[in-house]
Amino acid sequence: MENLFVGAAEGLRNTLSGVGLTGVWNDALLMLVKLVGILVFILINALWLVYMERKVAAFMQARIGPNRVGPKGLLQTAADIGKLISKEIPIPKDADKVVFILAPCLIFIPPLMVFAVVPFGQNMVAIDMNIGLFYFFAIASLSTMMFWMSGWASNNKYSLLGSMRVVAQMVSYELPLVLSLLGVVMITGTLSLTKIIEAQAHMWFIFVQPIAFLIYFTAAVAECNRCPFDLVEGESEIICGPFTEYGGMGFAMFFLAEYANVMLISALATIVFLGGWLAPFGWTFIPSWVWFFLKMYLMIFIVMQLRWTYPRIRVDQLMGFGWKVLVPLSLANIFITGIGVYIYRALGW
Amino acid sequence: MFGKGLLKGLQITMREFWAPKFTVQYPEQQHPVPERFHGKFKLDPDACIACGLCVNACPNKVISLKKEKVGKKQYLTEYLMDIQYCLFCGLCVESCNKDALKFTQDFRLCQYHHDNILMTLVKREAPPQPVEEEEPAAKAEPKAGAKAAKAKKEVAAGKAPDKEGQK
Repeated sequence: MENLFVGAAEGLRNTLSGVGLTGVWNDALLMLVKLVGILVFILINALWLVYMERKVAAFMQARIGPNRVGPKGLLQTAADIGKLISKEIPIPKDADKVVFILAPCLIFIPPLMVFAVVPFGQNMVAIDMNIGLFYFFAIASLSTMMFWMSGWASNNKYSLLGSMRVVAQMVSYELPLVLSLLGVVMITGTLSLTKIIEAQAHMWFIFVQPIAFLIYFTAAVAECNRCPFDLVEGESEIICGPFTEYGGMGFAMFFLAEYANVMLISALATIVFLGGWLAPFGWTFIPSWVWFFLKMYLMIFIVMQLRWTYPRIRVDQLMGFGWKVLVPLSLANIFITGIGVYIYRALGW
Repeated sequence: MFGKGLLKGLQITMREFWAPKFTVQYPEQQHPVPERFHGKFKLDPDACIACGLCVNACPNKVISLKKEKVGKKQYLTEYLMDIQYCLFCGLCVESCNKDALKFTQDFRLCQYHHDNILMTLVKREAPPQPVEEEEPAAKAEPKAGAKAAKAKKEVAAGKAPDKEGQK
């Protein structure tokens, strides 16, 4: 079980060599298969997460949730997406049509690109990049652009307000997000996600860097525009923010991308703080990719629980919290970690 | 401690997550219907003496009945309820001296087509007249019965409420 996917990739490589494909073409085809696999994984997960979100919400409100379409309502999202696909995409008369259409088309690209460097299990990373963490944030923060594009192109007050909030929020929270992870990078001395996981073989970084974990998690939830930081969509104030003018599949793309982003931040939290695919208590009889998956879903569940527990905060509170609490805290964390690393090195541990 | 409230909130939602759910899955499950629920009407045609008290009692003129005289007794041949106008007040059920008209607990009265709304509780042919009577009398009597029914209907339709109002 452990080598299920690795073995499959190896088998495919051997088959391709047997057919006569070698060298670059072999690698290229294999990479294509891997990336398509990741794509399918993300899309299926996004569909599942919409269902899970509704179920979690229902359970926390003493309801049952979707249970009519398919067994236990499992096909509910498929039915929803089917409906959304069949709908017309209305374009407002005064909208910037090209940008308006382009935004939902591009919104899925950053999460897809980032997942290429995520190690799903032992030796299960499509591209083992030595600057994985850096790449992660460099690409993930591009989502801001799509939100701004959609809000601006809609030519609508609510959309514009929403997208301005997106830019303000995402830029502000990018800072503590990155700074909180610097402590881990200082300890491990690497930006490679695989190496960061391997460094946690004896101790997960959540125990070494608890403050950093809390800062990361808070900032990451804000980065995803999830409740309690969902001012961007803030239904009661600005209808649906940048997505107000979107209908049909345009809206669905934004909706699914939100869940892809939730998956992304949960995956990164797993990698950097929860030991990635490493098994706790030496329970290696469960395959590493199952461990990764379980930890990721634990984080996703907590993100969902946050949404159904806390009310939305105000814009000024959001900004104040980001700049006056999270940034100084993460800077202090870096400072203390630096001293700690220095002392440890001086002691010769 | 800072963040205590946040943790408490998470604790509450976590508890609710595992708590039993209140939703009743309607077609499969149902809330129990009370014993004296005002649901669909049921008429026992053998107990009914076609007195027309229920027709008189109805404030919305929902009920219409037809009867024939068989021998010395009135025989109910048709009992219709235009149920769309019924307010389920229960005056007809209360007025019934023979306890022939009753409520049931069936509340599913929706219909797909407008024509199906009219509820037919009884529709049957009158039995043949008893044989010991003479031929002409037997022929005349059904007509008389029909006339009586018509008269009754008129009373139910317009005059009875007026009379009550005058009182």
